[in-house]
Amino acid sequence: MSKNPQHCGCDEGSRLVSRRSVLRAALAAAAVGATTYTVGDVSTQVSFAGAGWNGETLVVLSLHGGFDGLSAVVPGGDGAYYANRPNIAVPRASLLGLDQMFGLHPAMAPLVPFWKNGTFGVVHAVGQSDPTRSHFAAMEQMELAAPGSSVRTGWIDRTLGSLGTGSVLNAVGFSNQTPRSFAGPNQETTMTSLEDFNLIGPGDDRPTWHAALRRMHTGARPEVGAPATTLITAMENVAQLKGAAAGPANGATYPGTDLGKAMAQAAILKKSGAPVQVIALDYGDWDMHAGLGRVDGGWMRDKLTELSSALAAFATDLGPAFGSTTLLTLSEFGRRVGENASGGLDHGHGNAVLLLGGGVVGGRVHGVWPGLGADRLVDGDLAGTTDYRAIIGEVLQKRCGAGSLSTIFPGFGGPQLGVVRAR
Amino acid sequence: MPTSPVVSRGSRRAAPTPFAHESAAAQLHLLRRATWGPTPAALAEVARLGTAAWIDRQLNPGTVDDGAVDAFAGRMPFYWRSAADLISGGYAATGWNAMLATGRLTLARQIWSERQLFEVVVDVFNNVLNVTNPSSEVWGCRQDYDRNVVRRHAFGGFGDMLVASARHQAMLIYLDNASSTAQHPNENYGRELMELHTLGVEAGYSEEDVKNSARLLTGLTIDARGNAVFDANRHDGGGRTIFGFVVPPHAPADGGGWIDAYLRWLAVHPLTARRISLKLATRFVSDTPPATLLDAMTRTWLQTGGQIVPVLRALFDSAEFWASAGQKVRTPQEDYVATLRTLGTRMETSGVEGITKIFWHVLDQGHAPMGWAAPNGYPDVAAAWTSPSGTLNRWNRHMDFAAGWYPPELQFTPALQLLPSIPSTWGALVDALGVRITGQKPTADEKAGLLLYAGRSEGQACSANDPWIRNNLQYLVALTLDSPTFTIR
Repeated sequence: MSKNPQHCGCDEGSRLVSRRSVLRAALAAAAVGATTYTVGDVSTQVSFAGAGWNGETLVVLSLHGGFDGLSAVVPGGDGAYYANRPNIAVPRASLLGLDQMFGLHPAMAPLVPFWKNGTFGVVHAVGQSDPTRSHFAAMEQMELAAPGSSVRTGWIDRTLGSLGTGSVLNAVGFSNQTPRSFAGPNQETTMTSLEDFNLIGPGDDRPTWHAALRRMHTGARPEVGAPATTLITAMENVAQLKGAAAGPANGATYPGTDLGKAMAQAAILKKSGAPVQVIALDYGDWDMHAGLGRVDGGWMRDKLTELSSALAAFATDLGPAFGSTTLLTLSEFGRRVGENASGGLDHGHGNAVLLLGGGVVGGRVHGVWPGLGADRLVDGDLAGTTDYRAIIGEVLQKRCGAGSLSTIFPGFGGPQLGVVRAR
Repeated sequence: MPTSPVVSRGSRRAAPTPFAHESAAAQLHLLRRATWGPTPAALAEVARLGTAAWIDRQLNPGTVDDGAVDAFAGRMPFYWRSAADLISGGYAATGWNAMLATGRLTLARQIWSERQLFEVVVDVFNNVLNVTNPSSEVWGCRQDYDRNVVRRHAFGGFGDMLVASARHQAMLIYLDNASSTAQHPNENYGRELMELHTLGVEAGYSEEDVKNSARLLTGLTIDARGNAVFDANRHDGGGRTIFGFVVPPHAPADGGGWIDAYLRWLAVHPLTARRISLKLATRFVSDTPPATLLDAMTRTWLQTGGQIVPVLRALFDSAEFWASAGQKVRTPQEDYVATLRTLGTRMETSGVEGITKIFWHVLDQGHAPMGWAAPNGYPDVAAAWTSPSGTLNRWNRHMDFAAGWYPPELQFTPALQLLPSIPSTWGALVDALGVRITGQKPTADEKAGLLLYAGRSEGQACSANDPWIRNNLQYLVALTLDSPTFTIR
């Protein structure tokens, strides 16, 4: 076992991937390539970036539970919205940045500067091709993103396969669980935080621990051996970044919540220059069947406040790195247009996707608005006029350097909306 | 996989049969699946009784003395209070105490209860009929739900459990049925009842079925004093059909009877029988259990009207169960519990501080018992849990527990006392640690890694006086817990 953990990781990566024909070419490139990344005054050269990485980072923020896009990006110009929500509608007078049709919930005030400078935008009436109102079926379908096919890998995993990988930091999830979108043969890393991402125990002994653990897992069944090996390599890589990581920059202030902490970690990772192609985060608890609240207080107001302040802090903290970052939100479905008697909203369909980043065409609501008139609704729901894959696909092609989308979204094609500018 | 010849021992069904599996490997396999982790004492017990008698004993938990853990449960008075009692006292008097007691006691029972199979099955049904604990609205009733819904019926009838669940404050609040009315039905419970608790989303019911399900369930609510009640004034007595279940127009006062009939019809629907059998088989057999096993379990479910014990017997009687060794990976929570069990860690002598700290730990790591945030319960397949961060959490807790660092209130066995004596060579030492901790010798790769860490060769002489052993054995124990073999359920 080499004494140099970086070489360790690379050898191990090559060994793991050599069995995967689909990645052979990308890995051969990774094995000879080298990337220098810098944290503070520490500069580290490592041979781990995939050849396909162009420097862009896609941040996927999952709003699990069924985000009500109509409360966030409010169709204040549509009278049917107010007729359907007599108790929980956001009053037109309180909407921010209202145009002919849409305005933002006032709790989204922290994002207004980005709306104004054109780096925060929205696509409305986004849906899935085969809508279901089951959280679990809808989430699974969205994270696999291959409806009607037998593909069982996740779309982020296929994205890594398409762009080229070779680093365990290519895709990082800040979460306790591995998202379904990571399922598949490529290496992703999940962690609760960079700071805690190391073994406790004998301090001076880590190289020996790591070597012993690698050896012990050599012949392990893949579902045990692969995460163990990925972990050891990722710990070695992260150890180099985190020591030098400074606090938030540019006066950014994150909310002191799980989301705020996770976004702050994501910013550290991005600012380090490490080859992070995708960062996945989960911000759940949007399942508001009862007690959604009103514009001046309650569940939705509080959630939108936290979400908006975390996103604004992230954009501010990134500084120049904001230019090579694109964040998008995804939620398995939107909510019913009409409120129920519990002051909440049952499961629906069409939803809003939020986009934030240096290349975003913001300050406006994209997509085709189907309207909320009774004759325009589909079974009481906002219709989905834009497939969510069209948005991700455009970001992958224009920002992340993906060529064809055929392996990422099998069987899916369609025109681009113009939600981001090409790099 | 066990290799002993198949010999019939008067099994309960005519199918070819099972309990010929008395090899040490088969006994180890049984304990990895039917308990929260083998211990030397449990392995000795199953070796003495044989697997069939061991299973019989565990399926009759009333015959298993559990005095120590019962006494421990007495240290958590909030857990024993009724929902109506706590709710009438108000949130300020209770806060999260009852929910936390429920989580902590469940964890303690997993670690220390002698009724291990019961504790495993309780966990399965806590996930089938999940009410997230702790979660904000069920502060006054989650402990009552645990006692009177899940634990009361876990070895009884599923129909009884389902009715008890539908009519319990915790479920009424958690999935919003308490606020559902004829004029404005709330669809949450009506949908999850079909999707998660019974038929499954792939059953093929329509959106209209979901709406009708929600409409029929109106009337089940909670009164001003916190009691779960049927309020006819809120019930929609219209006639309807729900996925084939026909409800005629009826007087609202008869609504409660129609609701129970619907729940009991769902409980013994063949799709429910198969889906809950799948949940059990996923826990005990594999991430993708064979159809032949599911067929047998489903048949038993339908023949017995959804009695859980006979379905479990069908599972443990099956060739598929015995052939499934090595096919499951432990969940993070199971790994914590199995670690404490195999190390022989004992509960604190007084108070509940130790279990409280362990509970916070598993809660922070995203796997406290009953802590899954969504109504679908924790997944129980390797793909959901095998991640780098999960691996790191497991390895770090192994180190904590092996060294007895944390939590200090628990009584840890010092690493030097795990083996009766230190073997004479390093190879024999790592083998002995493997057997003591995982139930079997380490694989060649594991052994090589352990020796690499110790910096010794296999044949090198070893003794209890070696300073390395006196100072570092706990690290070698932690590494043994980190071995792939220990991850196997």
